[in-house]
Amino acid sequence: MSFRQLLQRWRGVVLCLVGVVATLWLGATGGLALYIHPRYFVFTVVMAVIAAVLVLAAFAIVPAREHSHERHGHEQADSHQRRRRLTGAGSGLIIAAAVTALLVLPPSTLSTATVTQRGMNGSTSALPKADTAKLVGADNSSFTFRDWVSLLQQGAGTQYLEGKQATVSGLVTPDKSDPENVFFVARFVVTCCAVDAQPIGLPVYRPGWKTQFQPDSWVEVSATFRANPNTGGNERTVLIPTTIIPIERPAEPYVY
Amino acid sequence: MGVAVLGIMVAVRVFAPPASATSGMAAAARDFVSLSISVIIESLPFVFLGIVLSIGVQIWLPEGFLLRRLPRSPALRRPLLSLLGMLLPVCECGNVPLARGLIVKGLTVAESMTFVFAAPILNPVTIITTQQAFGGGNGILASRIAGGFVIANLIGWIYSRHPGQESLLTVQFQEECSLEDHAGGRNRRVQQSVQLFFRETNAMMPALFIGAAVAGLIQVGVPRDVLVAVGSDPVRSVLALMLLAFVVAVCSNVDAFFILSFGATFMPGSIVAFLVFGPMIDVKMLALLRTTFTAKTLLQLTLLAALCAAVLGLGINYVV
Repeated sequence: MSFRQLLQRWRGVVLCLVGVVATLWLGATGGLALYIHPRYFVFTVVMAVIAAVLVLAAFAIVPAREHSHERHGHEQADSHQRRRRLTGAGSGLIIAAAVTALLVLPPSTLSTATVTQRGMNGSTSALPKADTAKLVGADNSSFTFRDWVSLLQQGAGTQYLEGKQATVSGLVTPDKSDPENVFFVARFVVTCCAVDAQPIGLPVYRPGWKTQFQPDSWVEVSATFRANPNTGGNERTVLIPTTIIPIERPAEPYVY
Repeated sequence: MGVAVLGIMVAVRVFAPPASATSGMAAAARDFVSLSISVIIESLPFVFLGIVLSIGVQIWLPEGFLLRRLPRSPALRRPLLSLLGMLLPVCECGNVPLARGLIVKGLTVAESMTFVFAAPILNPVTIITTQQAFGGGNGILASRIAGGFVIANLIGWIYSRHPGQESLLTVQFQEECSLEDHAGGRNRRVQQSVQLFFRETNAMMPALFIGAAVAGLIQVGVPRDVLVAVGSDPVRSVLALMLLAFVVAVCSNVDAFFILSFGATFMPGSIVAFLVFGPMIDVKMLALLRTTFTAKTLLQLTLLAALCAAVLGLGINYVV
């Protein structure tokens, strides 16, 4: 049995093992939050442990090599041989790609490319109106990132927000309409996993920000809500920052 | 050998380059990897659960336990099977290995189709999340449940009239079915369980990884605003959200929350078409179903499910 045939025979459990090692490692290092909602953490880890036991049992019980009479008795046929060679090569390719993506490359969050692709604050479900109504008039010292975006996007009004102070952190994302003066502090709202992530953000007015901060870097902004000094921009209300501090990506980069 | 392979993989992970190593990658490429990994990490536990349930059904349930309890009449069996998801609330990824197990235990191919298309919609988790997202009063929840039930049973009925049901299955899966021999004591059954896990993962895992990569690629490549631009047209909105369902491949348990963000832009019929078509057919499901059904069958199933979902969506848009 050639190496390709060996790969073809064992590709399923090897891919399982790649997934299991990646899942358990992400679970142990807090990286699962980069990909799935926290409510799935326990279920995901438990199923990974069960799968790990079954994978190790498969290595112990299933014969390493397939006997010629076991399932495919016509290996002499050329077309069959060609197909097996192709499948073996394909299996190797999938395993190599899986190892690279899940084990070699470091875990990362979604970036400004996805913000652009999905549209900033384009999701109404990420910002429920009923929640916004409750926020108006409440003590804003405990407001979350999502609360502030809800108030801004769901029409709490410039008058209500004027002068209110907020400290928020997120991904630096250029504003489409005024990219020289305004950037968004952005986060993704995740319902199930990164696939359904919807970008939300707060506009920060800082002329020449590009000389200080790179898009996709993480910052913490302490600022006050004011009317946008640039009346030509899309955003009517912006954050005028007191301080902007570069920070490391937080352990939970998404909001739920 | 297993411990050695495990050791190598752990070593690869531990000695992998630091986070700065990806700084040279384009943002879109990084997001493609992140989205593909997200699909894998989110789907894997459900696929494992589906395989474990399949092992339970095939090896540990007494012979005929399930089939004896089902009505003999196919017209009654299919509706009952479409409600099986109420007892086994696995999302669509997990239903594929479970359906394979049910075929091995004697379900007809048509009956397995009814189960695999109905179960992701007619299960308690999906119903609760749809109710939470849209409420119960606007007809979206009722249309989803009724639409999913009717379409799954219609597809099952159509294929029940196919004269050669086995020909709808891949040759590999037909071989799997012929291998079924699960008599024996406890130790023998443990061995058979491990061997079945080995065979099922060999079929499922490559499909899942390829499906995840395709889903990630499409997510990065297809701009959402192109789809949203057609949201107010009764016909194009239905087609656009069905295409979105096919592309994004979101789990049926939470797809209602995902599509809620399009609720203000798109017509109700298109939302229902998304909620009915997505759990049945998407890029990831096609890859998983390909382990069991021939390409020709899958093409027919896709067109049939799409046609039914489109009719349902258009009906709601024009009538309601």
